Amino acid sequence: MLKHLFKEITRRPMGVACLAILAFLYLGTIFSQFLAPYLPTDQDLANAYHPPTRIVLEDWRPHVQVYEQVDPAAARYEPVEGETAPVNFFTAGEQYRFWGLVPAEMRLFQVEEPHRIYLLGSDGTGRDVFSRLLYGAQVSLSIGFIGICITMTLGFLVGGVAGYFGGKTDFLAMRLVEFIIAVPSLYLLIALRGALAEHFEPEQMYLVIVIILSLIGWAGAARIIRGMALSLRQRPFVLAAEVMGQSSLRILFRHFLPNLASYLLVAATLSIPAYILAEAALSFLGLGIQEPGTSWGLMLQQAQELKVFTLNMWWLLTPGAAIFITVITFNMLGDVLRDIVDPRQQIVKR
Amino acid sequence: MLLKVISYPYLAHLFTAFSLIFFLVSCKGDIPPLEREEHDLPQDAEVSSTEPGNYGGVLVTAESQQPRTFNPLVAEDAYSSEAIGRFLNGLTTYHPIKEKVVPELARSWEISKDKRTITMELRRGVRWSDGEPFTADDVIFTFKALFDQRYPNRYMGQYTIAGEPIEFEKLDRYTVRFTTARPYSPFLYVIGFIGILPRHVHLEAYEQGELLQQWSVRTAMHSPEEFVGTGPFRVRSFRPGQRIVYEPNPHYWRVDSQGQRLPYVDYLITRYVQDRNTETVLFASGQIDIASITPGDVVGVRKNAPLHDYTVHHRGPATGIRFLWFNQKPGESEAGKPFVEPHKLEWFTSRKFRQAILHGLDREGLIQSVYFGRAELLHSIISPANERWHNPDVPRYPYDPDRALELLREEGFELDGNGDLVDSKGNQVSFQVYASEGDDITPQILSTFRENMRDLGIRVRIRYLDFGTLVARVSRHFEYEGAMMGFTGGADPSGGRAIYLSSGRLHLWNPEQEEPQTDWEARIDELVYASEETFDLEERVGYVHQMQEVFSEELPLLYLVTPHAYVGLKDRWENVRIPAMGSVIWNIDELYLGQEK
Repeated sequence: MLKHLFKEITRRPMGVACLAILAFLYLGTIFSQFLAPYLPTDQDLANAYHPPTRIVLEDWRPHVQVYEQVDPAAARYEPVEGETAPVNFFTAGEQYRFWGLVPAEMRLFQVEEPHRIYLLGSDGTGRDVFSRLLYGAQVSLSIGFIGICITMTLGFLVGGVAGYFGGKTDFLAMRLVEFIIAVPSLYLLIALRGALAEHFEPEQMYLVIVIILSLIGWAGAARIIRGMALSLRQRPFVLAAEVMGQSSLRILFRHFLPNLASYLLVAATLSIPAYILAEAALSFLGLGIQEPGTSWGLMLQQAQELKVFTLNMWWLLTPGAAIFITVITFNMLGDVLRDIVDPRQQIVKR
Repeated sequence: MLLKVISYPYLAHLFTAFSLIFFLVSCKGDIPPLEREEHDLPQDAEVSSTEPGNYGGVLVTAESQQPRTFNPLVAEDAYSSEAIGRFLNGLTTYHPIKEKVVPELARSWEISKDKRTITMELRRGVRWSDGEPFTADDVIFTFKALFDQRYPNRYMGQYTIAGEPIEFEKLDRYTVRFTTARPYSPFLYVIGFIGILPRHVHLEAYEQGELLQQWSVRTAMHSPEEFVGTGPFRVRSFRPGQRIVYEPNPHYWRVDSQGQRLPYVDYLITRYVQDRNTETVLFASGQIDIASITPGDVVGVRKNAPLHDYTVHHRGPATGIRFLWFNQKPGESEAGKPFVEPHKLEWFTSRKFRQAILHGLDREGLIQSVYFGRAELLHSIISPANERWHNPDVPRYPYDPDRALELLREEGFELDGNGDLVDSKGNQVSFQVYASEGDDITPQILSTFRENMRDLGIRVRIRYLDFGTLVARVSRHFEYEGAMMGFTGGADPSGGRAIYLSSGRLHLWNPEQEEPQTDWEARIDELVYASEETFDLEERVGYVHQMQEVFSEELPLLYLVTPHAYVGLKDRWENVRIPAMGSVIWNIDELYLGQEK
């Protein structure tokens, strides 16, 4: 089925574009330690608010332009005429643990100290925005997947069980769902974040937040799945399976799951952006990821200062562009998927 | 509903843009000039020495926090105190330009030979804003109230000298006499802290034991006319979350050289905004008259100056101090857990350890980056802004990681194979620092601190708490290893005795000691007491300088940097005199609207 889906997506130009962009983003995230020239915490206080460095070709090799600070009060840098530093590819740098496991030190590109390469400028303590963007993506892009894994599993289990068994089970499950939908989630988050902040490391806080978000978020999916399960329940193949004495669990997973898969897939794709935005919003409000961690929302929050606008430090707003692109791509992919699995609701002509 | 959301500080950023639009819309329309009441001038009216001006004009300021009370016995924070200061006067006040104590409600004073008795002549003919006469009874009433055990307040400690409360008695309708247990040189300075309360308004509540419930925020909302004072203004209206409007007190006791009663402005409005950023935006778009500007925003705000006719003034180093410190409190909590693990307490109580940490922090780099070069290193517990008391010749700790390691080695610390620092017993050096959320510079300083410490092989964890939780943790529960905070500075160091004295409430690293626990703390206590008992200014300065030397040598507080203070002010205001320290509009009653240029 997955193979079929993939084939169908690749037949649509929009689908191909979305897949390509997402593949690009996620590969960047997976290999961020290799792609980023610096660690996200690497500071260079002498190069705060540095603008993106210009790349020039010299002897068929890219070089970075060297800058000097002309006015510290306005964080103004001017290129030094004729002074450049070569970009070295596949060189060793500070050690890191690839995926937290394998020690490695290879990096795609670097510039010899004391010069620095800032593809997207630097922030207030001279940290490379490009590197932080890559590392921040680890949080911002994975949060959606972890979130939907929890919500979809819970949604399927509760909704499926409620729809299949009906009666009292259904009644109890649906009241639970209504109860959870009625919880004002923003206030709950603020309260939980405040109460739990002391007991968790800033790095763990991220997981705590995803879990809170998804524990509130599964109820809507459960309700829809229950409705679908109610109608599936009456279908001959389910009745046949029952007559043949298959266990409830087996019916749930062998007969319900494949029939609900298409819905689950579309719903999941469409709700990933909600998680990305929720993380951004929470970090923006100071409730999400905190220093020394990094995420797109946190980076945007740190760019919320008057000086970013008055001194035109546009590069600090790139996490906003990244969020924008990701969310639009996921939404478009969701549309394409829906067209494929539900031909009656086509919105794009083939 | 929406308002409730806005008042939550972190949501504030979101609404910056919206509020801007909102303010643009809400600010149209002219306010009609004020009709002034005519009343006789008091016999002892003070004549201002500044240029006489004209009545009229509205001065608008903005503030990110609002008063929590209007009762001076309840007020603990700077925002409440500022609002109270608009309508209440003390006996004396500190003149920030002349840099000395000047008369306010007291016209003059006499100090006895043994320096323990101060006789104050009150200003005759002064009336409260409701027209009742002001007399010695009001002064006596105020002091009786603040020493009343039913009404705990922060002045009680301030006015307790050598363990004895200040004694006070009424000699006649316009004379009061104060007696202190020991000679106390900052007396005239500190006696002005408390705003004198109107006896005729509060007597009933005082007798019924309800004084602390008087003059709350609720009063301000529903019946602001109950705030009776002698200050330049009275409260006209107060809307929480929006604004407070003051109008001139028609019985104020200061006049200009042409006999016009001050203040000149028709209305003084303080708007409540979500955060510092909003305040700066409002100022840069010409909507408020005055705002303090952070070093990073100076260039941006100056760009707009020609559009809205304002000037951003440089005030030199800020008066407050900012620092990191380690918990040095021995003992254990009620649950039987030590406040600080014993091996860590050993590090934190080691002077060389603290010195090494400060040597290891790249404060120079922070100035260059985070502060845009507009700050300087802080070396002493008194900010360089306070020129009279600041001691420039104290031990200094510039960024020098090699020196830091050297100091650590002398204390038995060593780097192990992985580059981690371990103490002589093999414990890895790591600690946790608490700071408060909600300001953009703190995380930048702390992440730099964390990186710098990692270079020394020390692992630092940083936790952000909200300010209230942080204060509770460091001043009540004592369960922390390190923390970062700041103090605002006053003019006379006697205002800092709660920090300096080992018995002080704000002696952060080990507060409220019964006996000084270390020799150097005992030495500081001695110096503070000595400086308070000396009336010779030079000698006092000498003691305070010595005290600063001890602090900088022992380094219980690791000083960070002093940013330069900038203030933006519209050019249309005349009689503005910007002092080195304190509020820019300290002489708000003398400001008047010049001709539009």
